[in-house]
Amino acid sequence: MAESQMNLLQGTLDLLILKSLALGEMHGLGISRRIEQITKGTFQVKPGSLFPALHRMEEAGWLSAEWGESENRRRAKYYRLTKAGRRQLGAETEQWARISMGIASALETS
Amino acid sequence: MTRLPRVSSFFRNLFHKAHVERDLDEEVRAYLDQVTDEKIQSGLSPQEARRTALVELGGLEQVKEQVREVRIGAFLETVVNDARLAFRMLRKERGFTAVAVLTLALGIGAMTAIFTVVNAVLVRPLPYPHSKELVYVQEMNPWGLSPFVWNKEFVAWRNQSRTLGPIAAYMVFMANLTEGGDAERVRCGMATISFFSMLGVRPLVGRLFLPEEDRAGGPPVVILSETLWRRRYGGDPFVVGKGLTLDGKAYTVVGVLPASFVIPDSIKLDYALWVPLAEGGAGMGPLRLAFFRAFGRLKSGASLATAQTELATISKSVMPAGLEQGIVLTRWQEQIVQSYRRPLLLFLGAVGLLLLIACVNVANLLLSRAATRRKEMAVRLTVGAGRKRVVRQLLTESALLALLGGTLGLAAARWGKDLLVAFISPNLPALEPITLDYRVLCFSLAMALVTGLAFGLVPALQASRVSLNEVLKEAGRGGSEARSGFLFRNLLVVSETALAMVLLVGAALIFRSFLQVLRIDPGFKSERILCVSIHLTPFKYSTPKDQERFFQQVIEGIKSLPGVQSAGGGMMSLLADRPDSLSGLALEGRSETIASGSSDVISPEYFRTLGIPVKLGRDFRDADRDGLPSVAIVNETFARRYFPNENCLGRRVSSWVHKGDWLTIVGIVGDTRHTVESDPDPEIFIPYLQDGPLLSSMTLLIRTAGDPRLWESAVRNRIASVDKDQPPYNIATMEELQAATRTPRRVNLLLLSAFAALGLILDLVGIYGVVSYSVSQRTHEIGVRTALGASRGTVLKLVVGQGLCLALMGTGIGVAASIGLTRFLKTMLFGVKPTDPMTFVAVSLILLIVAWFACFIPAQRATRVDPMVALRYE
Repeated sequence: MAESQMNLLQGTLDLLILKSLALGEMHGLGISRRIEQITKGTFQVKPGSLFPALHRMEEAGWLSAEWGESENRRRAKYYRLTKAGRRQLGAETEQWARISMGIASALETS
Repeated sequence: MTRLPRVSSFFRNLFHKAHVERDLDEEVRAYLDQVTDEKIQSGLSPQEARRTALVELGGLEQVKEQVREVRIGAFLETVVNDARLAFRMLRKERGFTAVAVLTLALGIGAMTAIFTVVNAVLVRPLPYPHSKELVYVQEMNPWGLSPFVWNKEFVAWRNQSRTLGPIAAYMVFMANLTEGGDAERVRCGMATISFFSMLGVRPLVGRLFLPEEDRAGGPPVVILSETLWRRRYGGDPFVVGKGLTLDGKAYTVVGVLPASFVIPDSIKLDYALWVPLAEGGAGMGPLRLAFFRAFGRLKSGASLATAQTELATISKSVMPAGLEQGIVLTRWQEQIVQSYRRPLLLFLGAVGLLLLIACVNVANLLLSRAATRRKEMAVRLTVGAGRKRVVRQLLTESALLALLGGTLGLAAARWGKDLLVAFISPNLPALEPITLDYRVLCFSLAMALVTGLAFGLVPALQASRVSLNEVLKEAGRGGSEARSGFLFRNLLVVSETALAMVLLVGAALIFRSFLQVLRIDPGFKSERILCVSIHLTPFKYSTPKDQERFFQQVIEGIKSLPGVQSAGGGMMSLLADRPDSLSGLALEGRSETIASGSSDVISPEYFRTLGIPVKLGRDFRDADRDGLPSVAIVNETFARRYFPNENCLGRRVSSWVHKGDWLTIVGIVGDTRHTVESDPDPEIFIPYLQDGPLLSSMTLLIRTAGDPRLWESAVRNRIASVDKDQPPYNIATMEELQAATRTPRRVNLLLLSAFAALGLILDLVGIYGVVSYSVSQRTHEIGVRTALGASRGTVLKLVVGQGLCLALMGTGIGVAASIGLTRFLKTMLFGVKPTDPMTFVAVSLILLIVAWFACFIPAQRATRVDPMVALRYE
């Protein structure tokens, strides 16, 4: 993916991570797989983008993390939404809806 | 609300770094393990699974680094890390660091020292209250601007002006101070009360003037300078109320000024004491003819132009027709520093060139070092550092170097500043104190940072642009540099040679001017002459007869001293331009009058003492005195200009002393140059014992059998034995006086030469560095050449040729740049054109010889390359 596209999708990645964690806590690989699944394969998040995003969001207080055990009994770090994270998800969803509506209507009229 | 987690993360990242790092490492590893597990489950072998997982991940370290970059406080952390690493690198390579830091310290230190002076003179406002509003009044008369104003005008301005707030006046005069010690001639100031209040001075002891003292007929009071107070009164705290005699008049001391009090002026004068100006009053003489200067403070809202118009209007209303003149107001600081701006900026420019050369050298060093660190860079990039990150690291290193250099330079400047100021003070106006203030500090700091970035950027970009494959493949060869590196390095050498060329040409032109000045024949012989000036107290010696008698006795007394070969005297100073006093004088039998020329009143042995030859006719004798026909001697220029192709002996010129009297020319003497800059004027001399003008002062010239200083006390005694209250002053040998007139030139010369010499040395080091680096890089190639039969001479030519080629290009560019720049030197030159071809050729040769020398040493080393060793080196 070209760098310019990455920048454009920075906010999108945050929203997707928040959304994928809305159903419950999950480790890094799980989040990556979930995003691929819920976007029907449109987005494949590489670890080089995923981990910086997770850490940034954790530092922002949207996510909390703790170590747990994965399905195949390996140690893994699990992320979950905090209250602030849920609020952020709400806000970003709303904003995204506005943007996509705006863009959709713009595309229709042309 | 959302701030809090960020803040705590910040501290966690900062203080529990090990923990945070371990956590990150485990997390990424766990991810890798999970992906590997999945791959194994899908049927891959464990090894293959791990490899594909790693590829998918994109490198453990790279991911970790990407996370680190987004962490809160990452910027701060990188800066600290970079600085720490940079510091370690610099400490490891002590030799490199020392050379780089010293080079930078030299450049920045010199720049800071010069800027300290520039700041004090040109940048900082005058150190007086509301100094920006202080304006200086000058009159525009047909001959140009004059700083002196008329008393009548001044009083009218003071009373009527609405644009100037307070307005002050002061003037300088010399007087004989007696009582309280030996008689001495001192420089005195005369000032209005407002003068002191506008300059914001407070007395150290006693008080300043009172209004009733600054008024015609007011009580005669005096304020001492700190120096005079210490010298003559031993710093007596109870000096107030004591009396002193100035030119025979009694004064009472009312106060002492602090030592810090300096009158802003374009030349520094020491004032021994101050008396009230008492406009229109008796004061020290007829004020209407006095040379007094005025300055005022612009009222808020008034502009320079409106004030100027107003003063001119007021002037016109009070001055008699024909005497009214134009008024020109200038900001006081502007007025003072005008003539200093260009030389100071020139020095700043020269030292700027030096700093540039220093930067180029350091850039060169960094570049060579970058080349040897290519592998390190490659490794860093391989293990996950981004290019930006590497550049930043390298820039941190150069910034650290620059800061170290800057600190050292600042320390050196702080110490060297006083030395510099003491050295160039003859070329500075009186604007004290010259200090390292915050402006200088900011300037140096900014300079250090800018130079750090400037010389670090290209080497850093160069170093980070490595192709991983190539470097790692080259492993065995030690890694040779990319072509662009060589190019850039060559460019550096060319540019620093060009810079050095400009500096050298400037210094050489000044040097040649100085030689020209020394070569000028002043027209008299200056060795073994003691000069002593005497100014007679006016009321005691009020008639020409009294004055002549005094000087006659003094001269006879001195002549009778053993070891004195001859002694004479003249009214005018020998080493200063003389005013035009002859214009309009009639020549007998001619319709034309004398256009211009100067005059002097001298004693008979004057010419003999000075060794000025009498070309035709006779010298004056003791018999040339009152009662006989008035005689005169002219110089050759006079004779040539006014009596071309005819004998002027016996011709007559009308006297400027007594109207209607005629002077018969009895002799022609050789020309004398009073200053280096001016050609000899037509001059007329008349004997002092002849019925002449007032002869209130004379400079005695005494030719002695040895070091003239040895006769000083004997001469003083002879003068005191005639009248102890007529103190001799300006006692010096003629050679000292001549040297003093050359001081400003010598200062310019030495300063510019020092810059040029440093520039040349840095250039030498730079060329040497580049050539020896290139030799070390080409060891292999040279080995091959030698093995294939290249002789020592060929190798030598190869290496020296390469270096000289660069130097030649630099010299060429330098010549072109110098042709453009040396015209700024014009006012400092004498007898040499700014584009003097000989200077340019000579300097180019010097530079090329130095460059050759710088190339020769590494070239010699190249010839010693043993082909076997060089080839095995591979």
